[in-house]
Amino acid sequence: MAPRTCALCESAKAMLKRPKTGQQICRDCFFYVFETEVHNTIVQSKLFQPGDRVAIGASGGKDSTVLACVMKTLNDRYNYGLDLFLLSIDEGITGYRDDSLETVKRNQQQYEMPLKILSYDELYGWTMDAIVSQVGRKNNCTFCGVFRRQALDRGAAMLHVDHIVTGHNADDIAETVLMNIMRGDIARLGRCTAICTQGEDTIRRSKPFKYAYEKEIVMYAYFKKLDYFSTECIYSPDAYRGHARVFLKELEAARPSAIIDIIHSGEAFEVREEVKATQRVQQTCIRCGYMSSNDLCKACTLLEGLERGMASAGITDRGRKQLESQGPAPDNLRTIPFFKLPLGNPTIAIESTS
Amino acid sequence: MSTSCGNPTTEQDALMLRRQKFDKSKDCVRCKENAGNIVIRHAVYCKACFFPLISIKLRRSLDPFVNPLPDGPRRKGLKASGNLLLGLSGGLGSTVLLDLVNQTYFSWHDPPIEDATGKPRGGKDHPRNANVWPKATVCYVETCTAFPGAKNRTEEVKAAVAKYERLVFVPLKVEDAFDSAWWDSIGGKPSSKQLGMDITNEDLILSSISSQDESDAPILRLQHYISSLPTQTAIPAAVQTLTRLLLLHTAMSTGSSHLLLGTSLTSLSISLISSISQGGGFVVREEAQEEWTPRLPVASRKDNGHKNGTIRIVRPLRDIGMKECAMWAWWRRLDVVGREKFTGGKQSIGPLTKEFIVGLERDYPSTVSTIARTCAKLAPKKGTGGVCLLCERPAQYGLQDWKSRISIRSFKDESSFGLYRPPHFPERDPANAPEPTSSSPSLAPFLCYSCHTTLTSRSSRGTTAVTASRDNPVPLPMWVTSNLTSASRTPVRSEDTDGSLDEPQELWSSHKMDAAQMKAAVADFLLDD
Repeated sequence: MAPRTCALCESAKAMLKRPKTGQQICRDCFFYVFETEVHNTIVQSKLFQPGDRVAIGASGGKDSTVLACVMKTLNDRYNYGLDLFLLSIDEGITGYRDDSLETVKRNQQQYEMPLKILSYDELYGWTMDAIVSQVGRKNNCTFCGVFRRQALDRGAAMLHVDHIVTGHNADDIAETVLMNIMRGDIARLGRCTAICTQGEDTIRRSKPFKYAYEKEIVMYAYFKKLDYFSTECIYSPDAYRGHARVFLKELEAARPSAIIDIIHSGEAFEVREEVKATQRVQQTCIRCGYMSSNDLCKACTLLEGLERGMASAGITDRGRKQLESQGPAPDNLRTIPFFKLPLGNPTIAIESTS
Repeated sequence: MSTSCGNPTTEQDALMLRRQKFDKSKDCVRCKENAGNIVIRHAVYCKACFFPLISIKLRRSLDPFVNPLPDGPRRKGLKASGNLLLGLSGGLGSTVLLDLVNQTYFSWHDPPIEDATGKPRGGKDHPRNANVWPKATVCYVETCTAFPGAKNRTEEVKAAVAKYERLVFVPLKVEDAFDSAWWDSIGGKPSSKQLGMDITNEDLILSSISSQDESDAPILRLQHYISSLPTQTAIPAAVQTLTRLLLLHTAMSTGSSHLLLGTSLTSLSISLISSISQGGGFVVREEAQEEWTPRLPVASRKDNGHKNGTIRIVRPLRDIGMKECAMWAWWRRLDVVGREKFTGGKQSIGPLTKEFIVGLERDYPSTVSTIARTCAKLAPKKGTGGVCLLCERPAQYGLQDWKSRISIRSFKDESSFGLYRPPHFPERDPANAPEPTSSSPSLAPFLCYSCHTTLTSRSSRGTTAVTASRDNPVPLPMWVTSNLTSASRTPVRSEDTDGSLDEPQELWSSHKMDAAQMKAAVADFLLDD
């Protein structure tokens, strides 16, 4: 069979079938359309202003590795005028993050971007290894998940950046739409397709890969020969996300546009006004200033439990009651530093590329 | 932040926990005497309590929408302003709906049953004593011609409906959507020329179709339309749209104020997820409850008592699951004719969603109702650009630009490169540059996202279309041609409605009335304290 010609440039030999459109195109056209679609997303959503300091949440996985590459390319190509940084979180698990952090360090050299690796130890005074030694393996993920959610914001505040970008892709977002419908989480459903989220007291956070297919991100990394570290999180088979993920893969196989179609659906509806009025108002933690649904945020509750030797305080109602029965927290309790939005110059040193 | 990782080890509510089949004992939760016969979402009911339970659920879903003022006072009884049309597919839901509607609203006693005082029991306007709708029609749309090898079930359905004395049966065929005789019979104006679209082009360029004897037959036009669709997903979606519009136009031609559909809670969850997966988020509200305003001139349609001839589409089984429907049909010994199953299976979003939801309902019965309840809390974002010409539901504007931005499919002209031209891309000789297609009339700007996706989105395995080609335009349903050829059609792009209609279009929406509004509505009937 004669080689097919690229459906876009109509001159080069087609090298791949594009997962998003099914078109047979050449490698250079693939790079061009992939990067241009991300550029279109950035421009259309007015994500950045010239001079913005932008931290790329870098885990060393495929999404953030490709994001760093594309952000660097687009910043140079279209003169965005951004100061780009890499921001990684080290949970402090011996032998777990080492490989992926090496990938991030290579990105730092390759793209000449300053890198800050922020550890749980630095932020919370506890490594995950230390937490596991106290709570055991059963509930350690509770601590890791809650601490990680705050870590990027706190790291970004230390770097004095205006904006964090993360590698969430189209598959992640479509999956989240389905999951939130299935579990009736109307509050998250209303905001999960937003490209940019910013609370009053948090740093702007965006997803430039909102419309980029996971398969195309892998394809981009493959053709650009980017190396990344693959870490799969194994969810329980009975988790909502697990069901949503399996279903989404079937939909994508039936019609690839299903991923974009679901995101489009999520963007086309909103929570009804009378329902919004009944939703809980977001507040800030009285101890650390981070956003919270209660007086004390989950991270502060967990940390207090660790510090007072009652690790279950943040996990079960019984543990919390037990902690409360012991009286108020002592004055000398180690706490998370108060969260403040960045003003002025960075307060911490970052690793330069030289 | 606002996102949730969904990891069950970090979030307590991320796990789908299996609950016990039923909550407390095996006795009926309603009468608390009989042993239970059925478990409905963890609650046990006996057979005697099951029937009133289902009847009450039906009336709770339908009664508020019967009177012209929705959700308003019903103190003076139920009285629809027009006739009733009931869509029957031959499936379980619509068969049960037919039986329930007949039992509840068309089994009135003549003369009425009297109470001790000699007056009709429940009042003379009670559904038991008087008809709520002057006339009721049952419409069946035969779709066998759209699916090769499918069986024609019209006669079986006709026999099943014959048992209901007060209901009139109207059979239709899905190819009627392409039949000028049908269009003429319901009051549509025959168009001077037939239009077709080039389905191989994303813009869906329009052209005239030459009227030849054989290809002019409605059945051949339908088959050309179906066989030109690019995916297995598009086929049932297209047939569903054609069926829905045939039912709506029949409702219009019978002077009906209401169209009832047998969508059960399970079917509603399936259609919600399926619609969202096909880009129909903007019309998520319409999947459960909608109003349709005919686009034909006033003179061409029968009056149904509603302003602008609006037809209210109600799904009275939306709180009743598939299992309850099955039990109703079994205990009432109903003859369920059955529907043709689309063989697209794993390659089609509709059947895939059905398999997914039915599986969920088996293991997690509450999840299915959660889906419907969650979607009921949603509303379309602002930005309605008009009405889609194909499905006649609200459509957003600016969709073509959105699609071309986030999914680049061609470099139509040099300007599409913007500030950066890829070095590998060859310079085009302006003399050989392809003709810009923007000057050609196209259907795409008149369609909603879902319909455009149905006609253009392709499978990764290539297209399923067997007859699509640039030189063989695909025929369009009668209402699309009619609207396109009527005076000054405007694309879906502004808040204004189409100026070609004889009277202003009014999108009719219902909302729950608060206490003050309710009081204002009944003020004349309230006595001073």
